[in-house]
Amino acid sequence: MAVSTVDTAVRTGRLMRALIYALLIFFAVYYLLPLFVMLVNSVKPLDEIREGNMLALPREFTIQPWLTAWSSAQVGVQATGLAPYFINSILIVVPAVFISTVLGALNGYVLTKWQFRGANLIFGLMLMACFIPFQIVLIPMAQILGDLGIAGTRYGLILVHVVYGLGFTTLFFRNYYAAFPTELVKAAQIDGAGFFRIFRRILLPSSGPIVVVTVIWQFTNVWNDFLFGVSFADFSSMPMTVALNNLVSSSTGVREYNVHFAGAVLAALPTLVVYIVSGRYFVRGLMAGAVKG
Amino acid sequence: MSFLEINRLHKRYGAVEVLKDINISLEEGGFLVLVGPSGCGKSTLLSTIAGLETITEGEIRIAGRRVNELHPSKRDIAMVFQSYALYPTMTVAQNIAFGMESRGVPKPEREEAVARVSEMLQINHLLGRKPSQLSGGQRQRVAMGRALVRDPQVFLFDEPLSNLDAKLRVDMRTEIKRLHQRVGTTIVYVTHDQIEAMTLATRIAVLRDGVLQQVGTPAEIYNDPVNVFVADFMGSPAMNLVPARINGGADMPMITLGRDAEDALSLPASGCEWLKAHDGREVLFGIRPEALTDAEGADRTADHVVEGECTVDVVEPAGSDTFVVTRLGGREVIARMRSDAVVSVGQRMPFAFNMDKAVFFDPQSEQRLS
Repeated sequence: MAVSTVDTAVRTGRLMRALIYALLIFFAVYYLLPLFVMLVNSVKPLDEIREGNMLALPREFTIQPWLTAWSSAQVGVQATGLAPYFINSILIVVPAVFISTVLGALNGYVLTKWQFRGANLIFGLMLMACFIPFQIVLIPMAQILGDLGIAGTRYGLILVHVVYGLGFTTLFFRNYYAAFPTELVKAAQIDGAGFFRIFRRILLPSSGPIVVVTVIWQFTNVWNDFLFGVSFADFSSMPMTVALNNLVSSSTGVREYNVHFAGAVLAALPTLVVYIVSGRYFVRGLMAGAVKG
Repeated sequence: MSFLEINRLHKRYGAVEVLKDINISLEEGGFLVLVGPSGCGKSTLLSTIAGLETITEGEIRIAGRRVNELHPSKRDIAMVFQSYALYPTMTVAQNIAFGMESRGVPKPEREEAVARVSEMLQINHLLGRKPSQLSGGQRQRVAMGRALVRDPQVFLFDEPLSNLDAKLRVDMRTEIKRLHQRVGTTIVYVTHDQIEAMTLATRIAVLRDGVLQQVGTPAEIYNDPVNVFVADFMGSPAMNLVPARINGGADMPMITLGRDAEDALSLPASGCEWLKAHDGREVLFGIRPEALTDAEGADRTADHVVEGECTVDVVEPAGSDTFVVTRLGGREVIARMRSDAVVSVGQRMPFAFNMDKAVFFDPQSEQRLS
């Protein structure tokens, strides 16, 4: 009796496992299919795409669409390709991510280890920033950027992204530092370390996982942003996402699908690389932050 | 003038007063232990001395200098935390040197100091390791090293042994005592363990609910507790506290201890003739287990030993001693007898009460009678 129970248990287990794997494979394929389509069609000549079979492998392999998308496609008035806008995006994303992460870390440090009256209220208000829809701030933000004289520049976009990211970066760091032993801060105070030395020497070296989480989060959000880019940038400061849109939706001449695909992959590449390089830290960091806080 | 002075110290969190009118003074080179049950405010008091907590009222002076307004790093103190608070990303050497680094001591000097201290604590072989690679006892040593290297005027210890296992705790206790004898620095030490307090201290301060109960040498605290709380808190097994009645008699007052099934036990209050003043009153009769023995085991140097017949309820041989439980005044009373005393359960035998060591309390106010 007992033996037979065990037997059935094992058999159902196997069946369940097969089912689970089938489901997982199905979803993996489901999610990977668009990427596959993009990659395959970005290395085909346009004629092959016109035949209509998007899933077929290329008969004739070419990297010409990639070169065109990068350096010679008609994006705006001039045929510059996406390259200058890619550079624009990098020049916006790197400072925006860096500044918002540093400020978020400092906020988290102050909110947990240098508690003052009303700290929780301020944290609550900062948290609200995570819930405000982008569209609401467009007009006031345009006003502020105009007043500051940085409308239509990369600096303007950096400011917008820093301000918008602060809510999230503060949330991440505050919850991470809430679990950080306060006795260490006290010990460092007795050791004569000041505000910044404690931050730099005691907290920051232990913040690896949460820094990774924040950087990935901010990088993805800022890189993928379209609304702020299209609203606040002019031709010289346009980020990659907006340029890609202009490339794809241009209504003159032949629609070069293979170039569009290549451009889309180029636009997605940096976030993809960031995830592949540091994805496991991302999960680990999220867990670390989730345990307490 | 004393070295560490705490005068009329009050600490409030909003309406809650956690420390009430604390007055303590400690001589240079002294070892003050703050002891009390959890939540009594002893760690808070230590934090105020360290400067990690501000005080609401009063004054703290170290070596004659008022330190109320000084930052922790300016008070010339070093602290060992309960969790050791070793910086997790630094090596042992960096941990020990961090304070000097913060104060801008040049590198060769730092290295020399680290070498000196690690030599003293025998942790030289650990200098390159991270705290996570150390055992509990080793972490404890590193934490002490970090404090020692400052050569401060006062060391503060916040329950430093409570995270160690029983055996290591005893070893480290001896080590701390040896360290104190060697460097002779003034120490303030917080613990809830009364044995640690007794063994380490030159002065003990007993706290309860933010109120200082008694300050004194370990012997004073142990032998002359000012109230029932101190008497009960210090000592293991705890002092026997038995409800009793005083009967004046002619010239020798008698102490009458009620018993459940038998007639009451009457003991002559030999050596405690002052009890006459409390004729007819209910009191709490306090006697430590080691002052209540078998007749042969009684202290021969004691001036006043009286015997009374009691019935043995439970016998607990402990190797070095035999603990014998009897019932007096409706409570269990523990006597500490020689290990080879012949005792059996249910037997009626004479118990020797060392009246030199007996103390009496008012049952209402719980204060000492004298």
